[in-house]
Amino acid sequence: MENLTVNAVVENLDEVVGFVFKRLSHYGCSKKTLMQIRLAVEEIFVNISSYAYDPSVGPAEVRCEVLQDPLRVVIQFLDGGRPFDPLAKDDADTSADALFSREGGLGILLVKETMDGVHYSYENGKNVLTIEKRLTDTEDVCL
Amino acid sequence: MSMKMDLIKRGNDAELKMDGYIDATNAAEVEEVLMDVAGKFDNLLLDMEKLEYVSSAGLRAFKRVYMELRRKSGTLSAKNVDKAIMEVLEVTGFTRLFKFV
Repeated sequence: MENLTVNAVVENLDEVVGFVFKRLSHYGCSKKTLMQIRLAVEEIFVNISSYAYDPSVGPAEVRCEVLQDPLRVVIQFLDGGRPFDPLAKDDADTSADALFSREGGLGILLVKETMDGVHYSYENGKNVLTIEKRLTDTEDVCL
Repeated sequence: MSMKMDLIKRGNDAELKMDGYIDATNAAEVEEVLMDVAGKFDNLLLDMEKLEYVSSAGLRAFKRVYMELRRKSGTLSAKNVDKAIMEVLEVTGFTRLFKFV
């Protein structure tokens, strides 16, 4: 599995997305699938940047691997910040009332809705969030 | 800021043609532009034909713009919304912010 370690700050988001997209460039992913992967990567990396080491700054490692049968990408995010399971909370309330009262939880909701698998574990003092997305859908193939 | 916005004025109404994307790196700047327009007009229509991507950071910007317009009984509308972006709005309940035209 290839990996990239950067400081978990929003300014490094482009580098993280670029690292993942480079590994997906030969698989003919649809525009929609790429957008969903970009979204999941952003939401997770921005969460780590905002909360994991707050108010300090620390490293985040991103691992990325494309697997076959079925064709899918597995992306892992590791940070050594405070233990936090983003999947433990209830899904963000998307009712009309809640829409105007709350700010948080949207990112992880989007990750859960757009990825085929999301898994959290705490291993060797690190938060490990793993997402998986199938790369084969039949719509909008453009690459 | 990776986002170009062209403003078309029609009396109290404004249309913004968005060209680019909104993510965590530029959402604050995009929000500033949107809020400036929302402060000057009663109704705002966002043409999303060339909006290629929006994350939760962009959704929060849309929410603030919606609230500013609602404060003065204006409306926030959207047109030419890409299927994948519509899915982001639907999953989060943010379709409620917009009148789709």
